[in-house]
Amino acid sequence: MGTAKPPSPPSERPTRQVRRRLKVRNGGASLTGVCDFVEAAASASGFDDRTSHACQLAVCEAVENIIQHGYQADEGEIQVTAQSAPGALTVEIVDRAPAFDPTRYPIDPSATLRDARIGGRGLLMIRRIMDDISYERRGRQNILRLTKNRSFTGA
Amino acid sequence: METQTQVYQRVTVMSVKGRVDSTSAGELETALKKLLDDGKSNLVLDLSGVEFLSSSGLRVLVTTLKAVRKTGGDLRLAQSSQRASDAIGLAGLDVLFKSYGDREAAVASF
Repeated sequence: MGTAKPPSPPSERPTRQVRRRLKVRNGGASLTGVCDFVEAAASASGFDDRTSHACQLAVCEAVENIIQHGYQADEGEIQVTAQSAPGALTVEIVDRAPAFDPTRYPIDPSATLRDARIGGRGLLMIRRIMDDISYERRGRQNILRLTKNRSFTGA
Repeated sequence: METQTQVYQRVTVMSVKGRVDSTSAGELETALKKLLDDGKSNLVLDLSGVEFLSSSGLRVLVTTLKAVRKTGGDLRLAQSSQRASDAIGLAGLDVLFKSYGDREAAVASF
């Protein structure tokens, strides 16, 4: 009879990397599969369900922005890579849409019904969820890195 | 995503279940627009079954809220799941909606 191996404590969990590619056609794509794996990656870093779900939401918002405002009606590809380390999740999102730096986009967090579009909400959500956001334009690529290293306890 | 609608004398309740993102937000918008076209302007959205709510879905809620307020009605939220509630708060839109812990209270508020 074998002896069950106890789960390793968070500090002994190895760093692991998962990558997904999403093809965008005619301004649309199914997000299932490209965002939901981020939740599992966050769990692997030791985050609770609420924080892991928030990470999925942030990545989904970033990907939706690239599809709707970056590629618009064009075809394109988005690559999402999640790296789980104990207590830290890093997600890198790479696309070839026109240059856009989401870290510099001005957002008014106040909301009134008079605002015609209620635009920029996705970026606001990303900034409120993630602990560090960095952007780099390398050649024809937009590279967005989102890092989470603290638990999410509410907006 | 799935929706289910229950019509009362003065209020219509729509229950939303599953994932509301850019893929399914159009479907939710069509379902809500149909209620508006039928003259229903006192609406309660039961969000207890929502597993995921992105800004695309939130945009539909705000568009519907504007439309019903124009006709003297309102869109109120009931028993939002933690995930739906987090999304609404993160987007800073919680100030726009009246929210109720249970469905009966939301219906009775009209």
